[in-house]
Amino acid sequence: MKPSNRIAYSRKRYRAGVFALMAVYLALMLLAWPAVRGGHGLATRVVLAVLPALPVIGVIWLMVWRVLHADELEQRLHMIALSVASGVVAAASLVGGFLGAAGVLVRGDLLIWVFPALCVVYGLARWLAARRYGVAGCE
Amino acid sequence: MNNRLRELREAKGWSQGELGEQLGVSRQTVNAIETGKYDPSLPLAFRIAKLFRKSIESIFDPGE
Repeated sequence: MKPSNRIAYSRKRYRAGVFALMAVYLALMLLAWPAVRGGHGLATRVVLAVLPALPVIGVIWLMVWRVLHADELEQRLHMIALSVASGVVAAASLVGGFLGAAGVLVRGDLLIWVFPALCVVYGLARWLAARRYGVAGCE
Repeated sequence: MNNRLRELREAKGWSQGELGEQLGVSRQTVNAIETGKYDPSLPLAFRIAKLFRKSIESIFDPGE
């Protein structure tokens, strides 16, 4: 396979994979998640609670695969976006952690928002970095 | 860094996509190099020089 075809193929495969895994995630959130609180036994509740995380872990794996198959400019864009996203989310987590420890913020589901926040900041940072290098589009 | 990539590519009659195909990079990467927004890595600069049968310094000018 030609290198450029490999890049296009990896993009297509990534998009298709993310779409399929997010559909599974949505289905699990609609079907399995409501049963968590009513589940019988600790083991059943643990399995039901952790189940929606599996497709998200799959998406993370696809992201790693996508970066490894990108060309050098794309890898640089991913690196910049990941650095910015890690920094912003780490700072926000620290602030949230201190507020939680002080008893100001009492939310048990706070950790659920770490990954979505990472994705949003990553997407924004990648878009800005791509503009800087004159690359259109954002994934 | 200034470079002669666009000039050399156009002399061959290749599109940015065709050049990217031969170099193993995307069209966007070729465009970013041509417009001077991105400086290629040394391995990519060597691939470009080899493809056009020229030396790296005859294609890329650090513009000191």
